[in-house]
Amino acid sequence: MKKALLTLLALSLLAWGLAQRYLQDPELERVKSGGKAYAEVFVSQRPDQALCSIHRNRLPADLLPKFLEEQRSLIKYPQNGKLMGDWKKGGAIFNNLQKANCFSCHFGSPVHLGGDVGPSLEKYGLKRGQSEAVQRYTYEVIYNAWAYFPCTVMYRFGAQGLLTPEEIADIVAYLLDPESDFNTKPAVGSK
Amino acid sequence: MPLKALLMAGALALMGLALAQEGVDPREEAKRQKQLLLETAGILPTELIVEQGKDLFNRKGPSGKTMAECDFGLGKGVLEGAAARLPRYFLDTGKVEDLDSRIITCMTRVQGFKPAQVKRSEVVAVAFYIASHSTGKPIQVRLLFPEERALYALGEKLFYARSGARDVGCATCHVTYVGKRAGVLPYADVLGKDKSWTHWPAYRYSNDQIWTMQDRIRACYGNIAHPQPDLYSLPILALELFLAYSNNGAVVEEWPAFVR
Ligand code: HEC
Ligand code: HEC
Repeated sequence: MKKALLTLLALSLLAWGLAQRYLQDPELERVKSGGKAYAEVFVSQRPDQALCSIHRNRLPADLLPKFLEEQRSLIKYPQNGKLMGDWKKGGAIFNNLQKANCFSCHFGSPVHLGGDVGPSLEKYGLKRGQSEAVQRYTYEVIYNAWAYFPCTVMYRFGAQGLLTPEEIADIVAYLLDPESDFNTKPAVGSK
Repeated sequence: MPLKALLMAGALALMGLALAQEGVDPREEAKRQKQLLLETAGILPTELIVEQGKDLFNRKGPSGKTMAECDFGLGKGVLEGAAARLPRYFLDTGKVEDLDSRIITCMTRVQGFKPAQVKRSEVVAVAFYIASHSTGKPIQVRLLFPEERALYALGEKLFYARSGARDVGCATCHVTYVGKRAGVLPYADVLGKDKSWTHWPAYRYSNDQIWTMQDRIRACYGNIAHPQPDLYSLPILALELFLAYSNNGAVVEEWPAFVR
C-alpha cells in the first residue's frame, strides 16, 4: 500500500515535471551542440524559469498566487535577524559591475552613472524611511525580485545564490541608512 | 599589419571621443565616428577587412580551388545578394547554414582544408567580403524545409527563454525594455524597428573588433555571465534564423556595417 502510494506520488511528480518543461527532448538535443555548459543551463532549467518562458514573462492571473507564494518561500534571512547590515560593505557590492551591478539598471549611485532599466533609487532611504516594513520589502525584493515582480529582469540575488543574506543586508543598509553615501552624496548625473 | 597599427591609432583617438559622447543617438554617433576615421586614416577598417576577405576568397585551397567554386545559395560563385538570403537549408550538406558556417563548408568540402586549419579571423574576413555584395538588398529568408522550420521554432523559444543564474532572456532586454539602457547603448528592438539583422557583420569602433552575428549573440550571453553557445552551433543558428526572418524585407543599408 505504502509502495503503491509512493509510486503514485513519483508518477504525479514526474507528470508535473513534464508539464513544466519548456524545451522538449528534440530541442534539447539540438541545444547540446552549443556545448556542455550552455546545454546544462537548459537541461536544468528551473520550473519557475520555464513558466516565465512559456508565458513570455506575463503570467496569467490564475497562476500568480501560487507562483508568488513559491517565490516567497525561497527567501531566507540573515542568521542574526538583522535586515540592515554595514552600509559601507553594501556600497562596494552595489557599485561592483561583476558582483551585483545594481547601478547598471538603477539610477542613484554616487559612484557610477546609473541606467534606467529599473526605477530610480535616488535618495531611496530618505524617501522611504527605515521602518521595519521598508527594510523587509527592500531585503525581499533584492533577495528574490520575482516574489514581487514575477519574471522581471532583475536578478534574484539571494534565491539564485548570487549574494548571501548578509551581503543583501549590507546593501539594504546602503540604500536605507540616512548616514550612507547613497543618501548623503548626490547621485552621479543628478540635476 | 602596419595598416592595423595605423587604424589602432585612429581607433584609440576615437575611443576617447566616444566615451565623452554618452547620451547621443548611437546610430548618428556611429556615422560621425565613421566619417572622422575616414578623414584621419583615409580608409575604413571595414574596407580593409573586405579586401583581406577578397584575397582569402581568391586563395587556392589544398584542392587547388578558390571559393569561387562554392555555392553560397544562389549558385556557384554568385555573391550578389547571397548573404541577404542566409541562413538557409543546403541540400549538399543537409543542414541549415548561415554565412559563417557556409564559408566553413566551402573551405573544408570544396577547398580541402582540414576543419582544424580553418581560422576564425579568416571566416570573419570572408564573411565581410561576401556580405559586402548584399548592400542595398532586402533580407529574404524562407522557412521551406522542415529543418528550417524546426530551427526557427527553436530560435523563437530560445529568444523567450529564461535561463541561468541571472534568469537571462533575450526578450527581457530586447522586447520588454527596448530603449532602456544599462550601459551606454539602449536595448535595441531586434525583432522590429531597429532591423538589427542588417547591422551585422560589422566593425565595432568602440572595441576595434570585427564581429558577425554569431559573435554578437555570444556576447549578449557572455555579458551577463550566461554560458555561451559554441560558435557555429545549432542554438546560434536557430536564434539567427528567428532574428533574420523577423527582419524579412528590411533593406541592408551597408554591409559590413560600422557600429559602436
Ligand atoms: C537587470 C536590471 C536590474 C538589476 C541588475 C537590478 N535591478 Fe532592481 N529592479 C529592476 C527592475 C526592472 C525593477 C522594477 C521591477 C519591475 O517592475 O519589474 C527593479 C526594482 C527594484 C527595487 C524596488 C524599487 C521600488 O521602487 O520599489 C529595488 C529596491 C531594487 N530593484 C534594488 C536593486 C538592487 C539593490 C540591485 C543590486 C543588488 C538591483 N536592484 C539590481 C532591474 C534591476
Ligand atoms: C541584459 C540585456 C540583454 C540581453 C539579455 C540580451 N541582449 Fe542583446 N544586446 C544588449 C545590448 C546592451 C546590446 C548592444 C546595444 C544594442 O544595440 O542593443 C545588444 C545588442 C544585440 C543585437 C544587435 C542589435 C543591433 O541593432 O545591432 C542583437 C541582434 C542582440 N543583442 C541579440 C540578442 C539575443 C539573440 C539575445 C539572447 C541570446 C540577447 N541579445 C540578449 C543587451 C542584451
